[in-house]
Amino acid sequence: MNKIYTSLILVFALIVMWTVYLTNVKNDDSLTVRYYTIEELSTKQVSIANVKVGGLIKPNSININEKDQLEVSFYVYQGSDSLKVYYYGIRPDLFKDDAEVIVAGAFDNDLIVAKELQTKCASRYEGDLKNIEKI
Amino acid sequence: MISQIGSLALNISGGLILSTVFFLFYYSIKKNKIFLDISERGLIAVCFCVILATLCLLNELLISNFNLQYVAQYTSYETPLFFKVTALWAGQAGSLLFWTFIMSIYSLIYINVTLKKMHELKYSSFVMLSFIFGFFLFLSNFIANPFQPVSSDIIVQNGNGLNPLLQNVTMAIHPPTLYLGFIGTTILFVMALSALISKSLTFEWIQSIRRWSLIVWTFLTGGIILGGYWAYNELGWGGYWAWDPVENSSLMPWLVLTAFIHSSMIQEKRGMLKSWNILLASSTFLLVILGTFITRSGIVSSVHSFTAENLGPLFLAFLSSLVLFTGYWFFKRFDLLKSDNKIDSFTSREGGFLYNNLILLLMCFIVLWGTLFPIFSEAWNGEKIYVGATYFNQLNVPIGLVLLFLMGIGPLLSWKTTSKSTLLSNFKIPMLVSFSSGIIYSIFFGPFQLYPLVTCMGIAFTVTSIINEFRKSYKKSKSNNKSIPSAIVSMLFNNRHKNGGYIVHIGITLLFVGFIGRAFEVEKEFNLSPGEEIYFANYIFKLNSIESEARDNHYAFISDIDVIDQRNNLLTSLYPEKRIYFYWNPDPEKRQPHSELDIYSTMRKDIYSIFSAYDAEKNQGYFKIMINPLVNWIWIGGIVMVVGSLFAFWPSKRRDYGII
Repeated sequence: MNKIYTSLILVFALIVMWTVYLTNVKNDDSLTVRYYTIEELSTKQVSIANVKVGGLIKPNSININEKDQLEVSFYVYQGSDSLKVYYYGIRPDLFKDDAEVIVAGAFDNDLIVAKELQTKCASRYEGDLKNIEKI
Repeated sequence: MISQIGSLALNISGGLILSTVFFLFYYSIKKNKIFLDISERGLIAVCFCVILATLCLLNELLISNFNLQYVAQYTSYETPLFFKVTALWAGQAGSLLFWTFIMSIYSLIYINVTLKKMHELKYSSFVMLSFIFGFFLFLSNFIANPFQPVSSDIIVQNGNGLNPLLQNVTMAIHPPTLYLGFIGTTILFVMALSALISKSLTFEWIQSIRRWSLIVWTFLTGGIILGGYWAYNELGWGGYWAWDPVENSSLMPWLVLTAFIHSSMIQEKRGMLKSWNILLASSTFLLVILGTFITRSGIVSSVHSFTAENLGPLFLAFLSSLVLFTGYWFFKRFDLLKSDNKIDSFTSREGGFLYNNLILLLMCFIVLWGTLFPIFSEAWNGEKIYVGATYFNQLNVPIGLVLLFLMGIGPLLSWKTTSKSTLLSNFKIPMLVSFSSGIIYSIFFGPFQLYPLVTCMGIAFTVTSIINEFRKSYKKSKSNNKSIPSAIVSMLFNNRHKNGGYIVHIGITLLFVGFIGRAFEVEKEFNLSPGEEIYFANYIFKLNSIESEARDNHYAFISDIDVIDQRNNLLTSLYPEKRIYFYWNPDPEKRQPHSELDIYSTMRKDIYSIFSAYDAEKNQGYFKIMINPLVNWIWIGGIVMVVGSLFAFWPSKRRDYGII
């Protein structure tokens, strides 16, 4: 085998191993975030520094602070399980009842204090048909 | 009537594919050329049927035939004409048909131009094209048919309409441009594997596939940059790239294709790396299908949601069969792929291209690993673990910087081997410029940050090295021509391929200028009432007023913010808006708020303002201001890259092998 190829393959392998190490072995909270289902979290009575949860916003659960419009709490749900979320900051435009959201932040006893709040991007619009009349 | 024709054309194309497969099978047994000719015509007929079906759907969208589910879902009477056209790719069924439509156009060119010169590729190309067409036509006919009528017990008076966020010109160009890039990789795949199967890796073949790859690369680059531009100017989170799975899915084929464009040059010049090139060319298509699988299956959570129906398993099956097919033929023909030459030295042009390949593939691996990591981790220990932007940046930024320097080093190396003295004399000036720019940067641009400093030095190094190349070829052409302008013209046009490449590289250094800016972004969220002001990032932001206005299709709250600089001069006024679409709807759920940004944009920095909420009771607005330095360089870099690539693509007169 040519010397050049061998050294290139070696470099490639080293960086690949480093990548795998970073994500798998090194428990670095700034790099990885664990994704939970709402069901999993709602049964846990612990605090976790870094979680990510996806679900729908429970209708009529959005509670915006009257004094400071940036402060909001709401419930995300999935099936019959739900979790309370607290968030301070600018909310995405599509934030409303039954919108699909991804929340990332800290979890502590039934409450997620969100650092990130994202609604599903509006790249596609697949709503139901409105203005329809049954014969 | 038109919709029936379209539906019929779609059905017929499915039938034609089956008969094409039959004739191909017959050809493989009888080896009678007539059957190959018939299957060629069969494929051409399929392409025309798909084009017809697409035109029919377009017609239905334009005349608002709400008897079709698809038309009712994505358009309404109020949708402007232009956006009725773009609704063609707004939903699942339409976008799949649109995919096949573009594939038809590419295939027609491939069959009628490329294959006319390379008959030996015909049979295996037709087999693969039939398989790929077969898959997409199966989806369009049976899973997501755009000609599906609404259910018979309802009458649709008016359609849904297109999301206001998508009613934007950039958003109208971005998807088709990206599609043209994605789907173009089909041809690369078919061409690479058919050459492998038919054992004809000729010089003509490598030249032709290189030209195809340039077209695909141009569209892919343009599509990705346009997507970032739209996100930055419309979505209001102040960035253009977020390492989201959907974005990553478009980046991976781009990285591999870029690697291919470089390594195929070594094959063209020295007959090396044949097996490698076959792998790269076919992987671009495999990565496109993998990306489609990721985005259309919902297996990895992404902020982009594309589909309601689940096409995941089908795409996975399609992908697996393609991977198996590629793997089988690759190993079966491995002995054919031996190199004509060997690489002699670390410091050679070939070596430079190899390092380039190594880096691009590493980046692709890192992106792929990060994107699929939730799936891997769930398979191993049952927990879905996501990696964030920190992971991608931590790994890709240093590797990207090596790539930046490499772009400058490449032109300084000679083919085969570079002698020490040439190496030293070539490196002298770029090194000098790079170090001095580093020193100047450190003196004038404040607190030490490693990455911006290294990036700045890398840009200086690479730009100097490229300018030096231009200077050399200018000297050469000056000695033949007399006047300066004609010398410049002949320098540029004599070796378009090489010069186009250098222009693309200049474009990439401009991108890096924009990336430096990311290290210096700052932002602030605050609330103001009219008359109040706030000091942030050396500017005073003064809110003059918040006015409201009912417009055609929305209600707008318009803020008026003065930006005053340190010398107390009015720099600009910003008017970010909070809009409520469908505000007349009694159901508050159906109303849709939208923040219309206002950006003060210069080459040095953007002042990016978002009006996020309005408290009518207190007459108070909630704002977010971001100072994003050097963002404009990204867009300019993107344009330069596309121009450079087109320049390289344009055939020069003295070559006889035509356009593709």
